[in-house]
Amino acid sequence: MLAELHAGVLLGVAALLATMISAQAVSDVPAESLARADSFAAIGDTAARSAALFTEAAKVLTHPRCMNCHPAGDRPRQGDVRGLHQPPVDRGEDGFGLPALRCPICHQQANFDPGRVPGDPAWHLAPREMGWEGKTVGQICAQIKDPARNGGRSLDDIVHHIGTDHLVGWAWAPGAGRQSAPGTQAQEGALLDEWVKTGAACPN
Amino acid sequence: MRTSRRDFVKLLTGSGIALSVSRLALAGGGDFAARETLPGRQNWNPAATGAGRIDGVVKVTGSKLYAGDFRAADLPGWPAQTSHAMLIRATDATHIYDALDLSSLTGALRPSVVVTAEDLARIGVRVPQFYAGDLFCPIRRTPVYLGQPIALLIFEDFDRFDQARLALRDATVVKYGEETGQITRPPYAAFRFTRVAGATPDALDVYSPVKNGWVSPGKFQNTERPIWARLPIPTGQEYAEAARYGEDIRTELAADNPARLVLERQFETQSVDPMFLEPESGLAWYDPSRKNLELVVGVQSPYDAAESVAFLFSEAKAAHKPARINMQFAYMGGGFGGRDHTPFPLYVALAAMFFPGHPVRLANNRYEQFQSGIKRHAFSLHTRMGVDRATGKIFAFAADHVLHAGGLANFSPSVATVAATAALGIYYSPKVDITTVSLPSRAVTTGSMRGYGTLQTMTALEVLVDEMCTALPLDPIEFRRRNALKTGERTMAGNTYSVSIRTPEILDKLEQHAIWRGRAAEKTRGREAGSLVGTGVACATKDYGTGADCSLAAVEIDPDGRIAIRINGTEMGNALGTAVANRVAAHLGGVADEVALAQIDAFGPLALVTSGDARKIDQKTQDAAARNPRWVPEISSATAASTGAHVGTHAAAEAARVIFRFGLWPAALELWGVGPNDSRAKEWERARWRDGQLLAPAPLSQAVAPPLAPLSLAVIAAKVHARNGVSGAMAHGFNRWAWSQANFKIDGQNWTADIDALALRRGRGKFARLDRSNVRFPPTDFNRIGTTYTALCGTLVRVEINRITGALRIAKAYSVLECGNALVPQVVIGQAQGGFAMGVGYTFLETLPLYEDGPGSGKWNLGQYLVARGSDLPLRDLEIEVLPAMDADERPKGMAEVVMIPVVAALINAIFDATGHRFGSLPVTQQMLKEVLT
Amino acid sequence: MTTFNVKINGRGYGPTEVRDELTMNDYLREYLGLTGTKISCGAAQCLSCAVIVDNPDGTSYTSPTCIVAAVRFNGKSIRTVEGHARNGELSVLQKAFIEHFAFQCGYCTAGFLNEAQVLLERLAKKRVPRADLEKTIAEALDGHLCRCTGYIKYHEAVRDVILADPQRYLV
Repeated sequence: MLAELHAGVLLGVAALLATMISAQAVSDVPAESLARADSFAAIGDTAARSAALFTEAAKVLTHPRCMNCHPAGDRPRQGDVRGLHQPPVDRGEDGFGLPALRCPICHQQANFDPGRVPGDPAWHLAPREMGWEGKTVGQICAQIKDPARNGGRSLDDIVHHIGTDHLVGWAWAPGAGRQSAPGTQAQEGALLDEWVKTGAACPN
Repeated sequence: MRTSRRDFVKLLTGSGIALSVSRLALAGGGDFAARETLPGRQNWNPAATGAGRIDGVVKVTGSKLYAGDFRAADLPGWPAQTSHAMLIRATDATHIYDALDLSSLTGALRPSVVVTAEDLARIGVRVPQFYAGDLFCPIRRTPVYLGQPIALLIFEDFDRFDQARLALRDATVVKYGEETGQITRPPYAAFRFTRVAGATPDALDVYSPVKNGWVSPGKFQNTERPIWARLPIPTGQEYAEAARYGEDIRTELAADNPARLVLERQFETQSVDPMFLEPESGLAWYDPSRKNLELVVGVQSPYDAAESVAFLFSEAKAAHKPARINMQFAYMGGGFGGRDHTPFPLYVALAAMFFPGHPVRLANNRYEQFQSGIKRHAFSLHTRMGVDRATGKIFAFAADHVLHAGGLANFSPSVATVAATAALGIYYSPKVDITTVSLPSRAVTTGSMRGYGTLQTMTALEVLVDEMCTALPLDPIEFRRRNALKTGERTMAGNTYSVSIRTPEILDKLEQHAIWRGRAAEKTRGREAGSLVGTGVACATKDYGTGADCSLAAVEIDPDGRIAIRINGTEMGNALGTAVANRVAAHLGGVADEVALAQIDAFGPLALVTSGDARKIDQKTQDAAARNPRWVPEISSATAASTGAHVGTHAAAEAARVIFRFGLWPAALELWGVGPNDSRAKEWERARWRDGQLLAPAPLSQAVAPPLAPLSLAVIAAKVHARNGVSGAMAHGFNRWAWSQANFKIDGQNWTADIDALALRRGRGKFARLDRSNVRFPPTDFNRIGTTYTALCGTLVRVEINRITGALRIAKAYSVLECGNALVPQVVIGQAQGGFAMGVGYTFLETLPLYEDGPGSGKWNLGQYLVARGSDLPLRDLEIEVLPAMDADERPKGMAEVVMIPVVAALINAIFDATGHRFGSLPVTQQMLKEVLT
Repeated sequence: MTTFNVKINGRGYGPTEVRDELTMNDYLREYLGLTGTKISCGAAQCLSCAVIVDNPDGTSYTSPTCIVAAVRFNGKSIRTVEGHARNGELSVLQKAFIEHFAFQCGYCTAGFLNEAQVLLERLAKKRVPRADLEKTIAEALDGHLCRCTGYIKYHEAVRDVILADPQRYLV
């Protein structure tokens, strides 16, 4: 199959970059912030508040740091521009790659900044059923709640996973040349915790 | 404009620099020359049996071969330690460069030396004309282009360099001030090519570039764009005349005539990078005590590199002026034009000069290579073709080309002219009018790259032809048959080709191929299976040669029959070493086991001199200069423009013919006991080699003499040396669309050959020059010719497109080409496969933004710049067919570029067949396909 | 700074003290002068820099060297292109690459050799059906970029080595 060149994405990023001083490295682009969980208290309706919390949390879930390894297909994406991962790698049988290109060979225990390569002891692709690419925030919400598609997790497991898991946590310390996910892992965990407490409602 | 050789000679003597580039003495296995002379006498030679290349063993064993492999410790006589340099380059070309901030480099990370524009001015550096421009952007000026060097930092050792590199990567090193906008400059070049044929095919042209000269518009609006219209000005009448004919052609094309169909289309092509796998690098050492400058680089243009480095320091202050420059040239890890006339060696030389006594390495990483390496021009093409509906024949063709050039002129003017004169591709038209202009910008420098502008113009052409065929309608092969230029017909420049034109055979092959024949059935089958299937065809013809090509060679045979060859041509993957060994073997019966390439001073015995600019000299001046038996229009030239087979091996073949005729043949006659009055003594042209043995020509008459036994090369060679016969020849050839010719008196015989200089070696003696007589250099008005040499390639592709995703798969492909006598057939096929891959990349994958978000930012690598991988190609469904040569005597043709060209339009045309959408720009991405399908 | 040891082509190197940021590629090329292992993109996207890493359990894999720290190879045993030939005798793959005219400029060749060698050793341990051969080769080699050849002769060379010894590699 031919490699994809997402011209549309590139144009979008070019526009984004054009608003920044060209001399800056991409890694200088500051991460977005996340609203604090308690700042949603103003929304009276519980279901609406719950959905709003998830929408805020979804800023992390749909950020390149997460989306790149939660692809719709079998190939991860790469970088803030979200191009297809080069060299071309495939999920393989276990999410750790095909025999010739196993993820841990390049993605070692930690980021290696001199090579601008991210790393984590558990580096691999999320299972296919956990692919979020191309989905709306509402669809991702439903998917995350669905034990058939979230690895048999309870809602508390989800909060724990996203809020404390080491590989997930990488998104906030991604190494040079990559924009961090918004906020912090603790903030994200808190948002999702409050989301569960308010009924885990999904936005439309 | 190149420095004339006379000026250069003055530079040498007047400024006292000796550009003697002698090789380091062969000292047992380890020195540079020994590593680059392949395969080497003691080593297995795969080429000896046609089972591989002369560089086969070194390339599979990781031997030191490329410029990037060498450090000072590898070079005998150099100090052991290598220092390392880096260039700081501008990433902004619209603001003033205010300051260099190296404050992040503290303590041990501080560079030993920082070199800026001011330092160059201080020591008196001069920039060669070809590279005109500031080598470093002076402070308080706006950089002229993205990636323009601002400073050179040199570090004592690798560790300091590496740490500094990492520290600087995250720092803001260059501070910019006021906004000035891009520096505007007038066009690099503008030309108008107009031809009006006479009333009959044999009649003289009414007007043509060959007949009337090349013209440029004289006026520019606001120094930015030429004014193409005919202006009522007293001077510039040549242009006015061309414009008059050109405007008439356009009027005719614009006229409303139902008997004719005129299509007018715009086509846009993108900037791409040669992306050769080995980034540019070099190693240099200036020894101030001996005033000796040593360099090791890998370039396609070694002679230019050596001249340019000498020019750089020719007027420098005493402490920075070398007395001697020794340049050595390595095998290259790819070139594709991007290593031809690259400014990189200049910076390598400067690094050494500013850190005397220390060998210094300068190397691009891939980000830097993208940032500074020479790029292919993006083109805007506006094309008009008019066809007579009844006959299907082209009656007129007009086009306007705009080349989006970069920061330095480099080859931009030349690319414009070559692209223009190729714009009509394989076709004939009695009326042609083409304007072309090359516009500078702040983009990365553009120059030579495989196809040299003709890829762009012939892609636009073949896509337009495809649309024409749909519109008329007329079968695409039939249209090409009716309109193909025939042998003897004139090109749009106004000359005929001097080589075979095999368009009818190529078209027959395309038409008969299963991919073409099955196109309707496959389309239907695809529809039934839910995908879109289409078939496309395109045909291209690409010139080989530049109009000022030089071939230099020395061929020698030792008493054991071992052959050594030295030539000026270079190796970048093109297998030139193997090709020249094979071509010489046809004459001498053995494959050389010592082949040295990229030689620039191994030909001293010819004592060549030159003057003037070969492309601009007038006939009177040339005739006068030619009276000096050592004068040639040009001494050496780059390996580019598909010249490897045609130029690179030429002088070696001529030298080998001389050795055979005057060395081996007389020795063989003596061994056979054939006396000088025997009629067989003259039959040297009919002798044949087989398996290293010389077979005597079969007797012409009913001879009574006993048959002559085959003689082995070794036995003949021993005899040559024993009788002090001709054991070596050294020759120079010059080609301006035809080879120069001269007569030489050798052993009482008159020898006429396509060379203009010759030296001979007898036994173990030294080479001694022979005076030529009656030299015929190609006429200077041949400079008006577009080209006389051309090779054809046609391509068929079948594509399958997923209706939903727009993903495209190349199901099958076929390329058929002709290249005269292929010197290394497996390499011709390999080049065709590689050209196909590069064509696929150019069509679908590769693109570079021109400005701030492009590679000039220093942020581009292979994550964003996508090059074709195996998974993008029909690895088991690409068929390459090479037509056999017309006959045993047909000379080799250059084909390395043409094999890429028709691939692109064939793919675009296949997409039209599949989807009904005709794309007018490159690349065509999956996203774009998806959008036209929904 | 970290001290590390590594075995390269059967020979031990070290203990050497190196900076933690030093890449394995720079260690090979700048420290040891083993320039058979190339550098091209420096971002593990072309795999010109790949070497073979031999695990204690007898399995092997290829690893880029441009984006992996030298110290990560501590205690490891690797093979580079310089180690394929033994006592001047070229390996089966090296000969096949030459005879098939598999490379042109040769700069990517070391990476392809290492990858193909690992593939052969992997197939010798777990053979594949003939029908899967081309796909297996393609998957193994697709990470390696070549700009000159269009890949076909590389694939044919590897395929022909396998087809010449089907009992060893094919089911």
